[in-house]
Amino acid sequence: MRRPGAPPQASRRGRPAASVPPSLPRTTGRVRVSSPVLRYAGTVVLVGAAYYASARLGLLLSLVERNVTPLWPPTGIAVVALLVLGRSVWPGVAVAAFLVNAPISAGLGAAAVTAVGNTLAPLLAATLLRRVGFRPEIDRQRDALAIVFLGALVSMAVSATVGSATLAASGSISWSGFWPAWTVWWTGDAMGVLVVAPFLLMVVGLVRRRTTLRRVASSWRVVLQAVFLLLLAAGVAGWVTRHDLRLLFLVLPIIGWIAWRFQQPGAAPAALLVATIATWAAAHGPGPFSRGTLFERMLTLQAFNATVALSSFFFAALVTERTRARDDLERAALDLEERVALRTSELSAANRHLRREVAEREEAERRLGQRERQLAEAQHVARIGSWEWMIEDDRVSWSDEMYRIHGFEPQEFPVTFERAVSQVVAEDVRRIRQNVEAALRGGVERSLPPSEYRIVRNDGAERVLLGNARIQVDASGHPVRMVGTVQDVTEDKRAEREHHIAETLQRSLLPDRLAEIPGLEIAARYVPATGGMEVGGDWYDVVPLPRGPVGLAIGDVAGHGLRAASTMGQLRMALRAYALEEESPAAVVARAHRLTARLLVTEMATLVYLVFDPDTGDVRFANAGHPPPLLVGADGSAAYLEGALGPPLGVDTEADPEEARARIEPGSTLVLFTDGLVERRGDSIRDGLDRLRREAAAARGDLEELCDDLLESLVGDQPDDDVALLVLRPVRIAVTPFHLRFPAEPRVLAPLRQAVRRWLREAGADPQQEHDILVACGEAWTNAVQHAYGAGEGVVDSELRLLGRTVEVIVRDEGRWRPPSGDEGGRGLTLMRGFMDSVDVATGPEGTRVRMRRRLEDDGR
Amino acid sequence: VSDLARLEVDGTGTRCVVRVIGEVDMSNAHELGRAIAQAVQKGDTELVVDLTETAYLDSAGVAVLLRLANRLRARRLLLRVLVPPEAPVRGVLELTGATGMFDLISRLEPAP
Repeated sequence: MRRPGAPPQASRRGRPAASVPPSLPRTTGRVRVSSPVLRYAGTVVLVGAAYYASARLGLLLSLVERNVTPLWPPTGIAVVALLVLGRSVWPGVAVAAFLVNAPISAGLGAAAVTAVGNTLAPLLAATLLRRVGFRPEIDRQRDALAIVFLGALVSMAVSATVGSATLAASGSISWSGFWPAWTVWWTGDAMGVLVVAPFLLMVVGLVRRRTTLRRVASSWRVVLQAVFLLLLAAGVAGWVTRHDLRLLFLVLPIIGWIAWRFQQPGAAPAALLVATIATWAAAHGPGPFSRGTLFERMLTLQAFNATVALSSFFFAALVTERTRARDDLERAALDLEERVALRTSELSAANRHLRREVAEREEAERRLGQRERQLAEAQHVARIGSWEWMIEDDRVSWSDEMYRIHGFEPQEFPVTFERAVSQVVAEDVRRIRQNVEAALRGGVERSLPPSEYRIVRNDGAERVLLGNARIQVDASGHPVRMVGTVQDVTEDKRAEREHHIAETLQRSLLPDRLAEIPGLEIAARYVPATGGMEVGGDWYDVVPLPRGPVGLAIGDVAGHGLRAASTMGQLRMALRAYALEEESPAAVVARAHRLTARLLVTEMATLVYLVFDPDTGDVRFANAGHPPPLLVGADGSAAYLEGALGPPLGVDTEADPEEARARIEPGSTLVLFTDGLVERRGDSIRDGLDRLRREAAAARGDLEELCDDLLESLVGDQPDDDVALLVLRPVRIAVTPFHLRFPAEPRVLAPLRQAVRRWLREAGADPQQEHDILVACGEAWTNAVQHAYGAGEGVVDSELRLLGRTVEVIVRDEGRWRPPSGDEGGRGLTLMRGFMDSVDVATGPEGTRVRMRRRLEDDGR
Repeated sequence: VSDLARLEVDGTGTRCVVRVIGEVDMSNAHELGRAIAQAVQKGDTELVVDLTETAYLDSAGVAVLLRLANRLRARRLLLRVLVPPEAPVRGVLELTGATGMFDLISRLEPAP
């Protein structure tokens, strides 16, 4: 809703109404009116006053009568007032027009009609200009066109028509003078609009935009130039309009210059100035406008004024447009520059970031490369390869070591699943395929069971590999990839197999059952090392020799594994043969020296060989670099048999071993051992020997317990080296009844005599008694063997005991005692009776029993 | 001859001396007798079996000696058995009455 007198809306330039202060108070400066009604009234009055004043001024220039002028400034003022202040101020225009026309019109009626026409024309102009979006700055060509054609030529036809018709109707002019009057009226009003309106609009604009005004004013050069050009224009205009020379066009370059230089702010005043001067000249003086008819003079003047106005407007608008376009372009360029600078800084920041990322990536790659190298080295050392199988596109990545394990250069060719299994031997391929297919079907992420398989390399070598693998699936259980490792375990498997063979061989080579020798307790142990994979060459042997003595050997072949075990076996068998042939331990060891040096060249071995005579307790021995045997007396004393120590076997072909002697009393214990028993990491062998001596001296119990105790206290459960241990102890057999049970065969008779001979000796028999009783026993045994069983196998039972000082011998067999046949049988019985104090033969259904007794004289014989 | 006993033969002139070292029982007596007999060369007139180093001799050995004596007698050869007085086996020979079947001597006279 618009209240009467409310400030008019500003033009449609998009500026907010609130920011547009009412122009009138500012224009008038000091007037402060708070009431809207009063302000409106004041505005109307002021507009009317201005109109009236300018009308009086314009009448001075009239050409026709007194009321038709070629330049009618009030129309310009009215148009500007209606445009700037709003059309609501029309009453001021109407009243002022009436007042102007009243004295010069034919009557008040005519004056009123004329005033209506004079009011309608600027109203129409303001309305049309608003309709087309006219801008008061006139800085566009269309604004120039609009004010020339709509604001001036079209609108002013209204007032010209109304006013001329009124003149004719009221009789002021004849109807024939209508058109000339109309023309003058029309051009006058139009000129008023063209010349005055732009100037006023320019002034209003300058006032509104004070900053621009100040800027213009602050530059005295610009002001000076403007003043100079305006003066020049005025001077040229004044000169050309007062001479008959038709040089009106000289004004145009100056107008153009001003318009170009200052645009509308300069062009509007210049146009006003020149048009006023020209009109004034036309009305009052000679010059170019003084000749011809009124119509011709009007035409010339108006053409000149129109040319000046149009030229200045269009030129100014054109330059303004160009300037604005240039400014826009500059602003755009500036904006573009800013954006480019911003973008450039963004880009350089991004670039720095990128460079840092590149550097970081290079560092990461370097570390990755280092790690990959380390992994490859670790794989190489451990002989472990790794692989990855992308299942979807069947791509397999092998690590360098995988290629080497398979006998190729690293990354020699691309790998697929089929290529990966192509070297696996047939039976293992089937198993691998089954495992993989089961894993692919499984649909879960899991490890496959470790799998051992064999491959054949291109060079024909077969390798044993141990594979570990894991399958990975996606969210839907679809298998994605498999990863795994492969280890070359060929050497491990070979070592394992060799260890097994060697241990089996060694156990088979050691005596599984020691010879049973009457009066001699023997026990032995062999404990393989648990730390290493390989067995050693430790060994021992017990060899019953002809005529009673016993050969005892213990040795250690250097090295481990199959080779050491087999060398040990050969040495042991050779020594057995030598022991049966040579009575002297030194001779036996000498032959062992030669054998080892000549035949078992690569081996070194130690050996101690003893020959023990149970009858006498004498022991002779020779030592080839072996730890000395330990002799522990029944009283707990303990000493090493350190004599006769020579170099190890295999060192000297011409070795001439010494022989040493010792005596082993019944109840004493001889301990033979290999170095594994006394060597302990961190200790000297001397410490070990001392420890063994202490432990053995303190030991009680039988030989089996002794072995267990020594192993437990000296070696423990985890021996570092193999340990062989052989202990023997002669025992007094006479103190208890001596019971013998033997097969009825002639070959057993000699060992039986040996045992009985010892028993008799320990029982206190002198050599003659010993012989006599032995012959009697022999005859009884012979009878049992010869007669009791024939060809069949039988058992003879014999028992000796001491009854006080009398030896009692009982011989039983389960056969039938036959009377002695022939001389021999008789002789046997004769001998038995001759040598024994009593002989009693009892024959029953269960067999025959012979009982003989012989008293041992206290003094022997 | 066996693990139990061995023979040492010493033939000088017409006398053959065979030393029996070791033990003689039913397991080796027969073999021993044959070996002693083979030791006698053609032209020998006398065989001396030396039992000085014989540790054991039982009735089986005595029987071998008696058989040997019979065979040698058929070849007109003289068998002498050398047994020192202190030797253990002397008692065996005496008890069995073998001394009557061959010439038992205590020491070896120099060969003729």
